[in-house]
Amino acid sequence: MSGDFYIDNNSFMHRLDARTKMALAFLTVVAILMFEHPVWLMPITCLSLLQLYIAGAFRNLRRIRFILIMMSLSSMILWNFFSNGVTPLWWKFEVESFLFAVNRTLLIVLVISSGMVLISTTRNEELVLGLIKIGLPYRVGFALSTALRLLPTIGSSIITISQAQRSRGLDLHVKNPLERLRRFLPLLVPVFISTIRNTNTFAMALESKGFGARDKRSYYLKMEMKRADYLVLGFALVFVAVSIVLRLKGIGQIPGLTRF
Amino acid sequence: MSDAISAAPQARVVTMEPAVQITDLTYRYRGEKTEALKGISLSLNRGEFLVVMGPSGAGKSTLAAAMNGLIPNFFKGKIAGEVRIFGQKTTETTVARNSETVGIVFQDFEAQLFSTNLELEVTFGMENFGVDRDEMHARMEEVINYVGIAHLKGRAPSTLSGGQKQKLAIASVLAMKPRVVVMDEPTTDLDPISKMGVFEITRRLCEHHDTTLMMIEHETEEALYADKIALMQDGRLIRLGPTREVLRDVDLMRSVGVAPLGIPSFFKRMGEGDLPITVDEGVARFNELSWKVSAPAYQKLTENEAAARAGLGEVLIRCDGLDHTYDTGLKALDAVTCEVRRGDVLAILGQNGSGKTTLAKHFNGLLMPTGGEVLVDGKPTRDQGIFKIGQKIGYVFQNPDHQIFSETVFDEVAFSSRLRKLPEDEIKARVAQALASVGLTGMEKEDPFSLTKSGRQRVAVASVLASKPDVLILDEPTTGLDYSEQRGMMDLVQRLNKAGSTIIFVTHHMWVVAEYARSVIVMKEGRVILQGTPREVFSHGDRLHDAFLRPPHFVDFSNRLGHTFLTPEEMAGCIVRGMEA
Repeated sequence: MSGDFYIDNNSFMHRLDARTKMALAFLTVVAILMFEHPVWLMPITCLSLLQLYIAGAFRNLRRIRFILIMMSLSSMILWNFFSNGVTPLWWKFEVESFLFAVNRTLLIVLVISSGMVLISTTRNEELVLGLIKIGLPYRVGFALSTALRLLPTIGSSIITISQAQRSRGLDLHVKNPLERLRRFLPLLVPVFISTIRNTNTFAMALESKGFGARDKRSYYLKMEMKRADYLVLGFALVFVAVSIVLRLKGIGQIPGLTRF
Repeated sequence: MSDAISAAPQARVVTMEPAVQITDLTYRYRGEKTEALKGISLSLNRGEFLVVMGPSGAGKSTLAAAMNGLIPNFFKGKIAGEVRIFGQKTTETTVARNSETVGIVFQDFEAQLFSTNLELEVTFGMENFGVDRDEMHARMEEVINYVGIAHLKGRAPSTLSGGQKQKLAIASVLAMKPRVVVMDEPTTDLDPISKMGVFEITRRLCEHHDTTLMMIEHETEEALYADKIALMQDGRLIRLGPTREVLRDVDLMRSVGVAPLGIPSFFKRMGEGDLPITVDEGVARFNELSWKVSAPAYQKLTENEAAARAGLGEVLIRCDGLDHTYDTGLKALDAVTCEVRRGDVLAILGQNGSGKTTLAKHFNGLLMPTGGEVLVDGKPTRDQGIFKIGQKIGYVFQNPDHQIFSETVFDEVAFSSRLRKLPEDEIKARVAQALASVGLTGMEKEDPFSLTKSGRQRVAVASVLASKPDVLILDEPTTGLDYSEQRGMMDLVQRLNKAGSTIIFVTHHMWVVAEYARSVIVMKEGRVILQGTPREVFSHGDRLHDAFLRPPHFVDFSNRLGHTFLTPEEMAGCIVRGMEA
């Protein structure tokens, strides 16, 4: 219903700098990609769980559990088919391909959770400011955050509009996909029109608040790398470095695995 | 108004220094045939408070947009004449730069808030001007205390009530320390007490801080605080004068299409001169003249009302201990018990977020109870479903743009009937009848989006009427319309009621309730706290106040005199002059 995942809290994860958190999410993905064997992913999994726990972000994962389960199931099936091994397990599957499927599934879940930690603990404004601090132009950053903000607004107008049309007798539960598409028209037109009207007022309000009045802009949010940020970053960098070394040594791979 | 907010309150300073000078301003929007503004000239001194009133289409919002250069920089068109703010021509610079001197607050508080928390919202404007962080923090603290939202720090704007949102919007403009503040109908969507909160802020701004204020307002009672009132019609400035003089000109206000105040209207009707304006003045004059309210005449009035209520038909909708808790855990309705009888005109009142709309959405099955029961025609809504109930109970949503989608008015109105697969002849007949009853006959081929707001509202009503419902629910049918459009809409509702429809409407407009409702439900925090005829409900001024409502000035005035009258006409018929008594 709501497209906003930010959890208003003040945990250790919340207090980290947005840049640290973005780097952390990126480094987590890099480290994950170094390993094929799911057992070697266990340290990262534990760290991810720890982050989720500190941030209190499990409830956001629960909100998207349907997507998570569907993706995990299809990943388990697909990777079993799309890889081969040497030790037979059952029917067409081998031990190696099974392990690899588990690895890929974990990869998906971990990537999603590290993204979730980021957006659960970082305000829209902080995220954009973080991007600006690492070189994104302000206007691009602002456009990005506006797009993110528009989603919940559109969501709530879809709910009102579908209620309005349902009380006029519109029934959206039809099997035929073409007919169904046609029935969505009474929803789509008002959604577009009201979104356009809203953005117009939004643009006016923006100009009237001096958007772009000066070349140089100041920021109320303080972005400051503190000791905790450097410690976390340092740890993550060491972790990734170790992972890369292990990878180069061929540790953490699955012998006998063929990937297509 | 630099440092104005922190300055100690001092005597009112209206200086002769011109803050706003508008000279012969004429403007035509691109693609329009007629001018939206025709030769407007007016000037405001520093510290003055002007209220601009007039019907929709008079050019009020265009004038507001001209104040910081949104016209002609944002809305393209043809402009002649000029607007100068402290000597600076608005067209010579950008809107963004003007905004340092001229702050604008818009009507739609949803669309003008865009940050994820209150502090960031307030500081956004200052960030654009490169104000340094410590200064931003100090100013932010100052303005949120000033408008009274300091206790909401850290909250996301989307979680605030309507009144709080509008106060936040005002704070975010004040933080930029503009010397001129323009407000375009800032209180239209607010309940009466939140309205007063906003007006209280504006009054303080003018009285103590020599901010120059221009406000567009529909409701006359709120204009009382102003120094001057400007009446506009068809792009022209019809009258500009001191507040009390303009408010006394009851006939001119009515002819322009602005609601005249009840108290001067009453005394004018009674043939008095030098009309009193406020409740206190009215009461004083009434006693001075030693008029009396005739007890038999008043009794007759209430007896007629009781007889009309007794004559209502069977119960159509009944709520029994109705609870509704949203997915978010918010309990929107708490043990609501009420009934709607055939032929009634029921008004549901309450503050923003009091559960009015949630209740109304239970009547046609849009929402299902999470506790208790709603019975329509004696059967629970849960067993019937919206598709079935929708044929008997029509629901007109607050914003007509949430339902209009067709290319022609005819298609729009025919939508429900076509969905229900009625024969084409029947559909034609129904559409014709529905359009006739909303006064849109002959508009079948028009594009509904090209109509005015009140026109679109009528199309929305017609499209619900076409399915011939027994009961018609209207969610805030008068919000966003001007006085004569509001009257037109409510007269239409009254005609439908006379023709046999049962009407339920949700509203903020107290005068609409006073003049059009037969029964009233007052809600507060999901509970029904008062029920009865408008007269009964409005006689409980204090309990209404608890629910963030208040009766119109005129009703207050009659309450102070010991009787509750709903309209000046009604009261005028019950007066015994001193000598006759």
